[in-house]
Amino acid sequence: MDYIILSVVLLAVGIYGLLAKRHLVKVLISIEIIAVAASMNFVLFASSANRALGEAFLVLAFSTDACVTAIVLALLVIATKKYGTCDIRKLAEMERSADEEPASVEAEA
Amino acid sequence: MIVELIAVGLVVSACLAIYLDEAVYSIASLASMLVLMAVLYALNGAVFVAVFQLAVGAGTLAVLFLAGEMLSEKPEKEKPLKKIFLVALLAVVLSLPSIFFSVAVMPANIFSGLSFADALWNLRVIDVVLQGLVIMTVALGIAIVLHERKEGES
Repeated sequence: MDYIILSVVLLAVGIYGLLAKRHLVKVLISIEIIAVAASMNFVLFASSANRALGEAFLVLAFSTDACVTAIVLALLVIATKKYGTCDIRKLAEMERSADEEPASVEAEA
Repeated sequence: MIVELIAVGLVVSACLAIYLDEAVYSIASLASMLVLMAVLYALNGAVFVAVFQLAVGAGTLAVLFLAGEMLSEKPEKEKPLKKIFLVALLAVVLSLPSIFFSVAVMPANIFSGLSFADALWNLRVIDVVLQGLVIMTVALGIAIVLHERKEGES
């Protein structure tokens, strides 16, 4: 059983989700999977060599991960309330059209 | 054998979490992945980390369930069961290299006789304090952003 290969497979699944999925909840799930894949290396290497430093790092990494989740969830709430959608491509299009509108108004004037 | 089964379960649940359209099923799949990961940690002797993973995972999943249920719309048509099984099969195939192949790694020989408490409270104490500050700042930042948004609406 090789944990490095397992970690790489999970990382690949997470990156695929990050690139292919458009829903913000799915993006958040992909970030979680990438974080789990990265942190798995710390703890499994540390425990296989009977060292506690890797486990201590992992506990710190978990709290950072929780912060990332909180930030993305805040973004999700704001985006849904302001634009009524969680689709990141639609959000990007709306933002682009909102940027272009004042420019076209200025050009007409 | 148990570890190999857990590895297969991890990859399958990760793939289903990404593939399934409905947010609730997707988050349930993520939950099973986090539980399997905690079991894997516990089997490898990292019991503290397993408990921490379960605690953080429970909080994250509770919030995700709420957000997924409240904010996401239902998909127009459900994915056929056949495709879901196909994805699960693909995930099983993806997990096979980790069972049958191996990458040789030479572990570095530093900090070998350290206990978990020593590592966390003596060696990385500044990190722990800074981490607390980061969490406080993030919580404050989110509260301010959401509060400003609320004021802007009213």
